[in-house]
Amino acid sequence: MNGVINLTVAELTFRQLFTRKRLIASMLFALSPLLITLVFLATAHTQDPTGLQFLRELYSGIVAFVLLPLAAVIFGTAAFGGEIDDGTIVYLLVKDLPRWQLVLSKYLVAVISTFAMMFFAILLPWLALGASLESAPLFQAFTAGIGLGAALYSAIFVTLGMMSKRALVFGLIYVVVVEIALSPNVPGLKSFSVREFVMTVVGKIASAVPGVKAGAVTPNTVWTMGAIFLVASLGLGIRWLQRYEMAERL
Amino acid sequence: MTAIEDGRSKVENGHARIELRDASRWYGNVVAVNAITVSLQPGITGLLGPNGAGKSTVLHMIAGLLSPSAGQVLVDRQNAAGNPGIYAKVGLVPEREAVQPFLTGFEFVRMNAKLQHLANPDEAARKALALVDLTGAQDRKVGGYSKGMRQRAKIAGALVHEPAILLLDEPFNGMDPRQRLHMMELLRAMASKGCTVLISSHILEELNDLADSVLVMVAGRLAASGHFREIRKLMTNRPHTFTLKSSDDRKLAAELIGEPSVQSVDLANGGLAIRASDRGLFTRALPRRARAAGISVHELLPTDESLESVFNYLVQR
Repeated sequence: MNGVINLTVAELTFRQLFTRKRLIASMLFALSPLLITLVFLATAHTQDPTGLQFLRELYSGIVAFVLLPLAAVIFGTAAFGGEIDDGTIVYLLVKDLPRWQLVLSKYLVAVISTFAMMFFAILLPWLALGASLESAPLFQAFTAGIGLGAALYSAIFVTLGMMSKRALVFGLIYVVVVEIALSPNVPGLKSFSVREFVMTVVGKIASAVPGVKAGAVTPNTVWTMGAIFLVASLGLGIRWLQRYEMAERL
Repeated sequence: MTAIEDGRSKVENGHARIELRDASRWYGNVVAVNAITVSLQPGITGLLGPNGAGKSTVLHMIAGLLSPSAGQVLVDRQNAAGNPGIYAKVGLVPEREAVQPFLTGFEFVRMNAKLQHLANPDEAARKALALVDLTGAQDRKVGGYSKGMRQRAKIAGALVHEPAILLLDEPFNGMDPRQRLHMMELLRAMASKGCTVLISSHILEELNDLADSVLVMVAGRLAASGHFREIRKLMTNRPHTFTLKSSDDRKLAAELIGEPSVQSVDLANGGLAIRASDRGLFTRALPRRARAAGISVHELLPTDESLESVFNYLVQR
């Protein structure tokens, strides 16, 4: 009907993801960097008059490091999880709709939702700090970085949400153990860390901004490993849904 | 078309909408459905069986949500499993109550219409909701619906594209008697227009009134198929029971006890309770014997020809 994605499935998924409670939680999530920025403006502004150093630390330390993977876990695992658990997925499965299209539609919604939330999380602090031209490359770099992060994390978590009833728990364990605890400290894991991919993209785009370091992995690694993550995760998800059978009562 | 014990129902003239050819399904060592061969044509068919008999597995296979471990399940001559193309012709009402609670009734049915690629989904949704008598509540969230209303919304969603095949798993759950009657009329109307309706239900009274034929499953096998009265006739190993009232019950009892087809006659409750080994022989002998003895027969009622009796006999075999 709609090419690669099905708009009806996408609309349904959006409404599923943005129930009132999740919408409020998302807004609080997206506003938290702004709150930190306001505290910074009220307290330590004189030590960093341009706010550039603060913004860099906020984006890399809070947004890319913590909020981005958490948002992707929340939206990615919920894109399918609830429907498979409560059986409402049957209304989508008994339609003339290829299952790969179902997966891609839900994946795209998870990516857009995660990206939108994170975009506001970086936009609002930037605006609060005066949206200076000096800090614009940093904002642009992190916009690209969270775009890449949302695409890769969502692929992993949408598939995880299909395959496990405890996807949210496993997703949080992955984020805390692999992304937050291990990858910064274990060099061998950096090539498998989406966070490092994000920081490499940021480093490449905002290399002129003082204090921004080149990423721990090369751009080639980002594109190669990113493509493998994306294709493998979505391929696994599509394959899983194509073989999915409703063995319990309908 | 009726058959019992051999577990087969032959294909009638014309192509069957639903066909199971030696279809089996097992989970590890557990055989849920064992070599079922049956074909269904337009009309209403009831799918009966005790819990664990394999009814849901059969419905899952026909709906393409489970593939058979062996054999074939065909819907309109196409393999049902892994074939989304069949869903333009199939509507499914699942047993599970869950419907996306954040949608209104109208949005839920329209979603089904859109996913069926209908040209005018709004109009189709309105029409389907009117058919199930849910227009008045169509703008309320499904999460706030009663169980019966959710069932009707699910049925509206399943028939919004006017499918040629409608599969319903316990569709009358939660409906009040008026709604059940309305739904039965709706299903009869669909069947009369050529729709093949397959209903799994544990409430035998409903199917007694509704189904043109039944499929009875016991322990994963098809124990019988056809109209339940025809099935009952073929169950020659079970005596047929009748109650009878006449102008002289005692004298008629004495007459009938000498009849070879009569196994026993009891005087009870102001009439006779008769067990006959052969229905045909008995019903032919009764008027002859009564006339010869000068007795008038006022009432003769079979007491074990209901769907429930037939079902119980088959399950207890």
